[in-house]
Amino acid sequence: MSTTTTIVTAGDSTRRRSTRRVEPIYYLFLVPTLLLFTLAITVPGVIGIFFSFTDSIGIGEWSFNGLTNYIALFSDPAILQSYLFTFGFSIATVIVVNVIAFLLAVGLTSRIRFKTGLRAIFVIPMVISGIIIAYVFNFLFSNSIPAAGAATGIPWLSTSLLANPDLAWIAIVIVTAWQAIPGTLLIYIAGLLSVPGDVYEAADIDGASKRQQLLRITLPLVAGYVVINVILGFKGFLNAYDIIVGLTNGGPGTSTRSIAMTIIAGFNGGDYAYQMANATIFFIVAVLISLLQLSLTRGRNAL
Amino acid sequence: MSARPFSRLRLAAGALAIALLSTALAGCSVDGRETIRFTFSKREAIDFMTEVVAKYNASQDKVRVQIDTSGVDVVSASFVRGNPPDIMLANYNFEVARFVQRCALSDLSGTRAAASLRDDLQPLMDQYGSCSGRVSALPYSVMAASVIYNKQIFDEQGIQVPKTWDELLAACDRLKGAGITPFYATFKDDWTAGQGWYDYSLGGSVDVVDFFDGLNAEGADVGPDSAVSFQKDFARPISRMEKLVKDYVNPDAASRGYGDGNLAFAQGKAAMYLQGPWAFSEIAKTAPDLELGTFPLPMTDDPSQLAVRVNMDLAAMIPDGSRHKAAARDFLEYLYQPERIKAYNDSQLGFTPTKGAAAPDDPRVAGMTEYYDEGRIYQGPSVLVPKTIPVFNYAQAIVLGEDPKSILKTMDADWARIAFRAPVVKSDASASAASPETEESGE
Repeated sequence: MSTTTTIVTAGDSTRRRSTRRVEPIYYLFLVPTLLLFTLAITVPGVIGIFFSFTDSIGIGEWSFNGLTNYIALFSDPAILQSYLFTFGFSIATVIVVNVIAFLLAVGLTSRIRFKTGLRAIFVIPMVISGIIIAYVFNFLFSNSIPAAGAATGIPWLSTSLLANPDLAWIAIVIVTAWQAIPGTLLIYIAGLLSVPGDVYEAADIDGASKRQQLLRITLPLVAGYVVINVILGFKGFLNAYDIIVGLTNGGPGTSTRSIAMTIIAGFNGGDYAYQMANATIFFIVAVLISLLQLSLTRGRNAL
Repeated sequence: MSARPFSRLRLAAGALAIALLSTALAGCSVDGRETIRFTFSKREAIDFMTEVVAKYNASQDKVRVQIDTSGVDVVSASFVRGNPPDIMLANYNFEVARFVQRCALSDLSGTRAAASLRDDLQPLMDQYGSCSGRVSALPYSVMAASVIYNKQIFDEQGIQVPKTWDELLAACDRLKGAGITPFYATFKDDWTAGQGWYDYSLGGSVDVVDFFDGLNAEGADVGPDSAVSFQKDFARPISRMEKLVKDYVNPDAASRGYGDGNLAFAQGKAAMYLQGPWAFSEIAKTAPDLELGTFPLPMTDDPSQLAVRVNMDLAAMIPDGSRHKAAARDFLEYLYQPERIKAYNDSQLGFTPTKGAAAPDDPRVAGMTEYYDEGRIYQGPSVLVPKTIPVFNYAQAIVLGEDPKSILKTMDADWARIAFRAPVVKSDASASAASPETEESGE
């Protein structure tokens, strides 16, 4: 189905292009951006991929070593674990963020008091830098919550979540979600406001309960926004770095090392070529996800 | 309209060219002095070193030294651009050792500074790799680290500094019996588990130089069946470390960080603290008069195995790409003048690496002097592995209760994997004869 749509849109644009002659000046407008993009992103990217087939450490002499880096990469449990952690964490965070943001958006678009003020408050986390949020929560998890646990005599509260190798990822999900919810919330509010009011009036007349309205009317009508939020969020969480550094620095042990963290650790440790190979794989994964997103959203628009 | 971006680009390119040219010509400055760029980024000592530079500049009229405190990342980038500093004093670690391994530093063997150094430090420098036929880096400041203890608590409990494993356990039991936490641990910060617990435990019972030489020889074959391996050689000291962690640390160690540890130790909440001399100034912020001492962690029943952990806190290097090597060497000799290098090390509680230099006159590090003077020193096993192996994280996992066997096995596999893809350690025949890493692997 999506292929048909592609052909239709492609046909659309060619027809438009042929009927209206494009001013050449528009192409010149593209030049500065194209140059900057090429110099700052494409060229370094290609150089990086090139060096992933060498034994370079970033400086000095190097020689080609073929696929050695890639072979080592696929047998490296640390790399494998970082991929597993990053994907697991991203999936969990996407679910948490979207459920909470959607419910908040429903609340904030309904007829309640102090709507504007509440919206402003809920959006504040978005403007705070991730590393600052991480350090504040780090203090809460390590000191405040255990202190409260000790004072109230609740044993499971009195040990830090960050110190538990099996549960530290939950803390990262909580903090990441706290920061990511506002952005998602704004998109959902926009989506909910785009639903015409008369469908709800009709539903009221037909005697649909509020819950039925939410599940049968609101959710299907904002489904496109859900897809966008899920995919944008997922891609963002795959790059998780600053919040993890501030909270656990990959620990306890190696339980919360994300892909971005292993790549950067490689640079700092003089392991440029190897982590370039890792980055290349990561790039391919990101491209695949983007293609998935494109095909999904295209299908949604066609509906 | 269309010309704008291009002319702007040309402007930018022109500015860049001028900038590059001016750095190239910086050597011939207005007053005829040769200007050299000196990289130094140890935060605590920048004031001290700025003063040294000012004195040097005033002492002669040939060379002007400019101090550059922008840090290691900037320096790495300058090497990549082919415009490295003319002389650097930097922490000696794997990050800096890259420049050594790829022969990006000039040979300093002919300098008076090199001749004045203690001979037993060179093997430690070589642990990070070397460039055949060159002395690429000279130690300038050696930091010694071992157990920090609260002298008052030890005196009150009538405890002598332990020299053997059994004495250590006895001391811990007595402290515990008196309701005092023997060790304050801060496992939330993974590096404290690596620097203190992991390194002191291993350095106290394993010959670190031999171990890593053996590991390098095994290369990609490191594993359960190799002659040397993490899982074989580290198992016993690590299990002893586990015992200390299990029985004698503060119960909330897992959620305490370095800052918490300094505060708690300053408040007398524990008798011993596995940290380096850098913690002294932090502890002194809370308790300036607290009497502290140091002793190497005894891990065996043989007192002759006691040794202190050292790191080359500063090493001097002159990059090969410098266009002012002669001037840089002159400044290097100035830095190594006996009273100057001694004054620097005294100010930082560091040990001076030159022959016959006295130890810093501070009771807090006095406990380590005899070991340093006798050369009973080792470099931390946690810093002798490439950073690709997240050894701090591994150490943290062990102290937090993960099975050390599986972690040591993982480290073997990590080591073998790095040896497999890095030509630095093996395969000298396959690479081209001219490439410097081949020469290095010949050793």
